[in-house]
Order: sequence, then C-alpha cells, then structure tokens
Amino acid sequence: MIGTTQKPLEEILAALAEYQKIAVVGCDGCAKVCLTGGSEQVEELAGRLRKEGKRVVLEATPERTCYVDKSHTKLDPYVDQLTEAEAVIVLGCGGAVQITRQVTEELGLTIPVKTALDSVGHMDTLVSGELAMEQCQECGECILNETGGICPVTKCAKGLLNGPCGGAESGKCEVDPQRDCAWILIYNRMAALGELDKLKRFMAPKDYSKMAKPRILNIKEKKVA
Amino acid sequence: MKLSKYYNRGEFVITSEVGPVKGCVRPSDGHTPACLAEATLLQNRVHAINVTDNQSAVMRLGSLAASVALKREGLEPIYQLTCRDRNRIALQSSLLNTYSFGIDNVLCLTGDHTSLGDHKSAKAVFDIDSVQLLKIARGMNAGHDMMGNALTQPTDLCLGAVVNPNFDPLDLQLMKMEKKIEAGAEFFQTQAVYDPKRFETFVRKTEGFGVPIQYGIVIVKSPQMGKFMNANVSGITVPDWIIDEMGSVAKADRRQKAAEITTRLVKEIAPMVQGVHFMPLGWSDVVVEVVAAIKASEGDLVQAVGA
Repeated sequence: MIGTTQKPLEEILAALAEYQKIAVVGCDGCAKVCLTGGSEQVEELAGRLRKEGKRVVLEATPERTCYVDKSHTKLDPYVDQLTEAEAVIVLGCGGAVQITRQVTEELGLTIPVKTALDSVGHMDTLVSGELAMEQCQECGECILNETGGICPVTKCAKGLLNGPCGGAESGKCEVDPQRDCAWILIYNRMAALGELDKLKRFMAPKDYSKMAKPRILNIKEKKVA
Repeated sequence: MKLSKYYNRGEFVITSEVGPVKGCVRPSDGHTPACLAEATLLQNRVHAINVTDNQSAVMRLGSLAASVALKREGLEPIYQLTCRDRNRIALQSSLLNTYSFGIDNVLCLTGDHTSLGDHKSAKAVFDIDSVQLLKIARGMNAGHDMMGNALTQPTDLCLGAVVNPNFDPLDLQLMKMEKKIEAGAEFFQTQAVYDPKRFETFVRKTEGFGVPIQYGIVIVKSPQMGKFMNANVSGITVPDWIIDEMGSVAKADRRQKAAEITTRLVKEIAPMVQGVHFMPLGWSDVVVEVVAAIKASEGDLVQAVGA
C-alpha cells in the first residue's frame, strides 16, 4: 500500500482558505488501512471544516481512489455537488489526488483539487492497524533472489549492495539505533538458509534508468517505458 | 608517491589524518588554515596524510582542494572519496580531477549518512557503494570509465579502503573486505580499535588476504570525548580504562596522557599489521610525539612485521 499521514489541520485550512464550498473525497484502499482517509476520517475532516465555517457539499469515499474507474463509479453520480464545490480536498495518496483531478477534468469541471495527506512511501503492513514499513523501492530490477528476501536497497539507509558499512553497532543501524542493520538481517537469513556463499558475489551498480521518473506501465503489453 | 610503493619496500607505513576547514584555503590571502598548519607539523614524520571528505556529513572545504593545498606544501595526501554526495558521473570525474592535480592515493569509502551531519535535510546520494567505487577506480587506472569508454589518459592511483574490526558479526565485515580486495583495494586502514584482543582476532582472520593493513586509532582527547564516542559514534568502543586514565590527569596534562595511551596501544597492536593510521581530530602534535616514540622502537615493529 501507499503509506500516508494527515497534514496538520492548519496546513489543510490554509490550502482551502480561499474556498467556502468543499467536497471531501477519501479512499477506502490504502488510506483506509493507514487510518487517514477511510469513510471515518472523511467524516471527521468534514466535521472540522464545518466547525471552521465551511460548507461541505460532498463526502465520498471511492473503493480505491487511485483506480480511475472506481473513482468515476463513486464520484460521477455526484457531478452536481462537485459542480457546486469550489474545491475538492482529497484524503488519499498523491496518486489519489491526481486521479481525482483527472476525474473532475473528465467530468468537464475545472476546480482545484487539494490534498490533506502526505504520502510517505510504499508500505507493507507489519502489524494490522499499528505498524507499516517501507520494504520496497520499486527499483525495476528486483534483487531479493540474491539477498535472502530482504531488500538492502530499501532497508539499508545507504542502499548498499555489497555488504554493510562499518557503522552498525549491536546489530543496529548508525542512522537509527532502533532499526536493524539490513545487512546483518540478510547475513543471518542467508546463514540460516545455508547460502552465505552467494553473498560473496559482487553486485554491480544498479541501473537507475529503470527508476527514471515518471515510469509508465503499459499493462496490456507488460512493458515499462 | 603511491602508498603501495612503501608497502612494496616492506616499510612500516604511518599515516595520519586532517579534516579540511569549514572555509577556504586560498594561498594569496596569507592565511594558513588549521588543516594545513596541522599537516605541516607532520611533515617528514608520516608517509602520507588522509584528507577527509566532508567528514561526519558536515559540509566543509572539499578534500580535493585541501589535498592540493597539502601537495603544494610538499606533503603527501591521501584523498578520501565518499559515495554519499556524488553520483557515479561525479565520482569518476573526481578521480580524474584528483589524478590531474598530482595526487597519487585515494581512499574509497561509503561515507557517513547525511542524517549524522549538519545538513540533515540533504538528499543522500549513495548511487554506488565503496566496493563498486574501488572496481570503477581500478578500471580508470586501466584506461576506461565504468561504461567501458576509453580515457585519453588513464589515472594511476593507489587505491585504499577501510574496514571495521569492531563489527559484529566480524565475518560479514570480512566478506565485504574480501570484495574490496577483489575490486582493487591495495591497502586498508581500520576503524579505531582499542581492544588488542579484538584486533588480533581480526588480524588472524585476514592473514591470507594478502593486503597491507594499517591499525587505525582515534586519539581520545578527554574522558568526555571517550564517553561521547561510545554514545554517539557507531562502530567504535572506547574502553573504560582509557576514559578513566584521561580523567585522572589535569586538563593541562591531557595531551601528554593521550600521547602515552596512544603510544602504548600502537606499540601493542601495530606490530600485528603493516602500518598505523592516526585520527587525531586536531591533535596532530600528539601524533608527532607518538611517532617519535614508535620510531625509537622501530626495530621491534619491523621485527614483529617480519615474524
């Protein structure tokens, strides 16, 4: 999922300062899991906006706001409310915000679409409702087959491919003593698998052209451009 | 002169370190920056002087400009190059720049993370790692860049690397050390070690590696500094006995005490390897004293190296 956190209310209000009639759009996908943009949070933000004297003309939470079809399915029936709105505030990731903008444009509307959240990475839920962690950078050339299923590109603060720096102490990273050194995790995992020899292989520099922004995935042709 | 030449002659190699100033080294300004004054103290006392690369991720004068300033004074710099601030284009260009300015030695490191420095919001680069950097640098010595494109004039740099004998599990650190040797490292300087037994274990495990190693030591300047290092510098442990001994003397006598402790450790540990590397953090005058003490017993060191 895409991890999100809510922006401070002052920042949200500043983004909406010029607008009175607001549509609040959430996301029942990742943002719901992060407790930042599900129906409950949409209702909560709508309530805060009303307290601030705004008029909330729509509260809607698509099943997955970053899927254009699902956003259209949820929002198209409310085209009148969206037409009345002076601005849309989205409780979703940066992708959800941009798909919402696309949907409004496709509905023939030119209204500002603002975000109430900060996107903080591709996250995996480690403890439901409690803890998520970034474990994949979507680098375009996965090396998990070589590293015991633990990604050094993401979990090592320096993204080192050929082993640890000298900074770990008591198994923890020099950047954050609460965090495990990714390379010690990889080493222990490979030792348990009896595959330590494989770690001795030189890993060539990554091809960062595979991460050149913005990547486009042609789903039909299974190609990235 | 390349450090490898001293090793090939079987010399016990002594190096120290200076950290470039947070400012400029412009000779015409008639001002001698601290790093240059310190390095000058070490003239004819060490084989070469490491020049750090924005150490601890604190923005300073670049190690290239400071290395050139040392070279101009007739000192032998070891240009430190980290992967933190430059992508592969800039790193390779830096190697060309370095050799073009007459520098013969480069120490290839990963670099401290930006979050430890004074520009915490900077984007950390780490496009490539230290093993890859060594391999690329060896390729440039052979006349081509990492993409295989020919260089009009190749570099001819002696390539150094670092290793941390304190690392646990040590075998994982040694696995990386072997990768560095395979990639082209010609000598190693260790992280600061204060535990002779720990260092001996490291030396025994690296006996067959076939590369010269310099025992690294940070000069502990005060009990507070020892405690600070333990609390804040990952990968180094300053034992209580050093903190206690440094605390047992008056402030005015700390330089003398630091020289005594450092000499003691170097005499005990350095004979296990082929050289010593001092990290004096501004106390280069203490290095002068320690080097004088070691030289007085050089016979012992040479004998131990040969044994």
